[in-house]
Amino acid sequence: MRLLRVELRRLWMRRVTWGGLLLALVVAGLGVAGQIGSAQPPTDRQVAEAEAFYAEELERWEETGEQQVEQCEEAEAEAAADDPGADFGCDDMAPRLEYFLPPTVSFVPDADDREAAAFGLPPDRGESQDPRVAEIEQSVWTGWSGVGAAAGYAPAFLMLAFVVGVSFMTAERSTGALGMWLTFEPRRSRVYGSKALAAALGTVPLVVAGWAAVAGGIYTLHAVFGTVGTVTTEDWVEIGAFSVRLVGAGVLCAAVGTALGVLLRHAVAAVGAVAVVLWAGAAFGYPLGAAQRWTPTTNLTAWLEGGTAYGVALETRDESGMVTTTWTTEVVTGLQGGLYLLAVAAVLTLLAVVVFRRRDVA
Amino acid sequence: MAVEGELAIETRGLRKTYRSVRGRRVGVEDLDLQVPVGGVHGFLGPNGSGKTTTIRMLLGLVRPDRGSATIFGHDVPRHLPDVVGRVGAIVESPTFFPAFSARANLRLLADGIGAPRERVDAVLDDVGLTGRAKDRYRTYSLGMKQRLAIAATLLKDPDLLIFDEPTNGLDPAGIHEIRRTMRDLGDQGKTVLVSSHILAEVEQVADTVSIVARGRLVASGRVADLISGQGGPAVRVVVAPDDAVIATSLLASRGIVARPEGDALVVEGADPAGVNRMLGEQGVWAREIAPLQVDLESVFLGLTQHETPGGRDHRGGRRRRRRDAEPPVGPAATAAATSSGTGRADGGEEI
Ligand SMILES: Nc1ncnc2c1ncn2[C@@H]1O[C@H](COP(=O)(O)OP(=O)(O)OP(=O)(O)O)[C@@H](O)[C@H]1O
Ligand SMILES: [Mg+2]
Repeated sequence: MRLLRVELRRLWMRRVTWGGLLLALVVAGLGVAGQIGSAQPPTDRQVAEAEAFYAEELERWEETGEQQVEQCEEAEAEAAADDPGADFGCDDMAPRLEYFLPPTVSFVPDADDREAAAFGLPPDRGESQDPRVAEIEQSVWTGWSGVGAAAGYAPAFLMLAFVVGVSFMTAERSTGALGMWLTFEPRRSRVYGSKALAAALGTVPLVVAGWAAVAGGIYTLHAVFGTVGTVTTEDWVEIGAFSVRLVGAGVLCAAVGTALGVLLRHAVAAVGAVAVVLWAGAAFGYPLGAAQRWTPTTNLTAWLEGGTAYGVALETRDESGMVTTTWTTEVVTGLQGGLYLLAVAAVLTLLAVVVFRRRDVA
Repeated sequence: MAVEGELAIETRGLRKTYRSVRGRRVGVEDLDLQVPVGGVHGFLGPNGSGKTTTIRMLLGLVRPDRGSATIFGHDVPRHLPDVVGRVGAIVESPTFFPAFSARANLRLLADGIGAPRERVDAVLDDVGLTGRAKDRYRTYSLGMKQRLAIAATLLKDPDLLIFDEPTNGLDPAGIHEIRRTMRDLGDQGKTVLVSSHILAEVEQVADTVSIVARGRLVASGRVADLISGQGGPAVRVVVAPDDAVIATSLLASRGIVARPEGDALVVEGADPAGVNRMLGEQGVWAREIAPLQVDLESVFLGLTQHETPGGRDHRGGRRRRRRDAEPPVGPAATAAATSSGTGRADGGEEI
């Protein structure tokens, strides 16, 4: 307990920690600033411009509309030979005013948006629709929204907690201050435990501050512009749960940081290793197919948003050699995501304790 | 508190090998060290002889491959937590957090052991750093860093102080001050283990010394005993070059051995007045005559002179074994034979 207090004090004596907090607030500030454009309802001038364009388009539609529909239906009929379900939407081709207005986003996605976003997922709807997929599609995190934009910045705060955790360990080793400390407290497991716990708990304010600033800022923005939309109680619950889980993830990220700091010794190595893993997961995400279930990003998203989905293309070849591709949507539950993060942190921590206990301190 | 014959530090067969991708390097080999309770104990050895490695093992910073060690009768590193509160140590060039002030650094350490905050200011005052206590450690001079390290060891009010090269980088006044501090601590009944490769530094304060070379103990005991162990008094005489042979035979006729050393003769087992009289009676006049100081320096050099720093690379372990197995041929073999013939060890050979 005494050690933990000392380590917490040291954590917040460090410039890296304060720098991390500052950076979190800067990121939040940029996030809020970036949302100004889309949170704003169209200005009078924009509306006037849009109306002018719309009038022009409507005129053209009057002249050529019938022809366009005809062409569309022809193409649709052609496509229907291969795929009986083909729908080109030919009956809804008339221009609408909102096409010409700058898009406005509300704080939470409105019902239309949540519906529309569903089209972003592979079209396997119909036969094998998993009710959990629908649930994810209906959640506050699907579609374009203010709160969704805020959530996009959450991983940055986790990364900061991780870096602060790494540097908390590696700086002490590289300056040589660790040797001095161990002559005062030689019980290495306790020493490691107090440091890891201090990093894990001590970085909570950083994650909380960053998230509160970006989510609160964006909400305020929407409130000012009157574009909050209808936030249901369920939405609030979801946002609250996200916040709690984000703090949990921050604790684990800082713990992973301290562990990697010990295992890889150098801050650059630890941060680089994680960057490579994340990059590889992102760069090779889709071709990974079913393995996407185990990428850190998928699991982190699943944990934070209480479940996420990914698409897998399944190629089958029939007797004639024809290859058909079927898309399926797979669900990763929030529970799996949470257990995954916990397991990664636990395994790395265990390894780090073993190494820290045995390693010579020069 | 100090029981006669009780040991503050004892090691038996302590051994440490550093392994790296480039091979193995023996840091300490089979070290048996005994440090009595109370007084100042010098821990001497040339560069790379394993002093720092030994101290690190005692403090649980590196783990020995073999052997055992005790501090005040407690097995270390296993029972180090029981005794660490009584041990203050600075190892090689100790470091603190560079971005924190001296006071902040010491406060962290004091809080870690539950020492009162007033103690921090007291020890800073002891080492004369009160005026600079608010400055970042980064801005400290080498000597100030060393003083701060000593201040840190005093936070615990320890019974055993381990100082590894404490005067490194200090000015003459600083060296003097540290020597006095060590002497005072020793006189207070505390045990001070001070390592050094500079004899003069230890000779003046130490009650007892241990001398190590190549990771092994080569001599230990009271400073006075070690010096007298080198044979009785000796005299250095300079005579006119023509008289040197006459003087030698003259002394030999009285059963006294005189061996030439440079342009002088070294006469063992005689006092200056006696030698002067013997030579004078026969009309040989000494130009210069002086008692020869047999000090710890010559003991030290005599025991450790085959040392070359870092000359104990065991990388060649396998090659050496092969060489042992096959009789050497060719010029390389001649070189090897020559080097072992002159007692200059190659690779990891024994002296
Ligand atoms: N971390 C390390 N890795 C590899 N070899 C080491 C390490 N530390 C020490 N050694 C080797 O162990 C041997 C003993 O070193 P040590 O530092 O104990 O000597 P020392 O007696 O303290 O020397 P000095 O008087 O120069 O301080 C040397 O050959 C050194 O090269
Ligand atoms: Mg040394």
